[in-house]
Amino acid sequence: MAKLKLALYWAAACGGCDVAVLDINEKILDVAKLADIVFWPIALDFKYHHVEAMPDKSVDVCLFNGAIRSSEQEHIAKMLRSKSKVLVSFGSCACFGGIPALANLTTRAEIMERAYIEAPSNENPNKTLPQTKVSVPEGELTLPELYDNVLTLAQVVPVEYFVPGCPPTVDLILKVVNALATNSLPPVGATIASDKTLCDECDRKKEKKMISRIYRTHEIIPDPERCLLEQGLLCMGSATRGGCGALCVKVNIPCRGCFGPPAGVFDQGAKLVSSIASIYQTNGKQDIEKMVNELVDPAGTFYRFGMSVSMLKRRIPQKT
Amino acid sequence: MLKKMLEQFGIDEKRLMLEWVSASEGDRFASIVNNMTEQVRALGPLNWNQGGKHG
Repeated sequence: MAKLKLALYWAAACGGCDVAVLDINEKILDVAKLADIVFWPIALDFKYHHVEAMPDKSVDVCLFNGAIRSSEQEHIAKMLRSKSKVLVSFGSCACFGGIPALANLTTRAEIMERAYIEAPSNENPNKTLPQTKVSVPEGELTLPELYDNVLTLAQVVPVEYFVPGCPPTVDLILKVVNALATNSLPPVGATIASDKTLCDECDRKKEKKMISRIYRTHEIIPDPERCLLEQGLLCMGSATRGGCGALCVKVNIPCRGCFGPPAGVFDQGAKLVSSIASIYQTNGKQDIEKMVNELVDPAGTFYRFGMSVSMLKRRIPQKT
Repeated sequence: MLKKMLEQFGIDEKRLMLEWVSASEGDRFASIVNNMTEQVRALGPLNWNQGGKHG
């Protein structure tokens, strides 16, 4: 079999997904045996115009991590789509918006204001903001445009597979590599992880789903055997796809939901609001107020990784 | 909880109503639904910039 041609790209992401690929350690040699890497900005010195010069569909697989929030990222996403036979939405940012999508709770104008004018470390008396085009004596300089909304990869171009995770675990990456090596990829549109929820895969003892106080992670040291949610920690396992190996809950940290909604759940955050609200024991209005106060940041907690694919997708800008 | 979250999303709390109505209270149910419908209609459409790039 001829070697596969593999491309990797990062858009709005932290770089952790790329590091996760390197985390497969010596198995990277198997990948090198299986595939020629034709594009990987974090590791190899290929330029955009090298990819542009490739014929359409000449890349067998592209692992694309990161959300789309600038004109450059959208451009590269479209380019890699046309050059790739299989485009994989790799990691939580590409799949659901991820941490960058929390920016959808604000607007581009507010982000610019904060970053370039308001922040105490700035010295910007003329209130200069980044421009997409600037003329200087030497010619015109350009910058990509920052978008108002953080989008997922699949909201910009069609995608064959989704590999969730912040970052995808080594086991999942090897699963993808094996599927490629043995030509046994699942049906198009599949999410390569588990179809169950994390709760289904968690070994902790579940007794009585009732809480009377919500704790933040720094407030208690939880019992390592018992269900974290039952101990009052907001564990997202009940509305989060499994397949991660329950890494966080195994080390006493509640699930933060990075694998996104499980099969059959449309809106991860809405599901979590209803499940948390239904297990909180209340005797009247006072308790409800207490619960609401204990839950400091519901949108950021329940949509920590999923803002772009949520029903609302972003904060509604207020009319002024 | 939902109210607090919708506030973070910039959604007017008048767009959400939570009421308990017994199965025997048909008239009350109808009037609550009618009132809510009118209330939301009066607020008009959500000024919602969903997928677009620009605000």
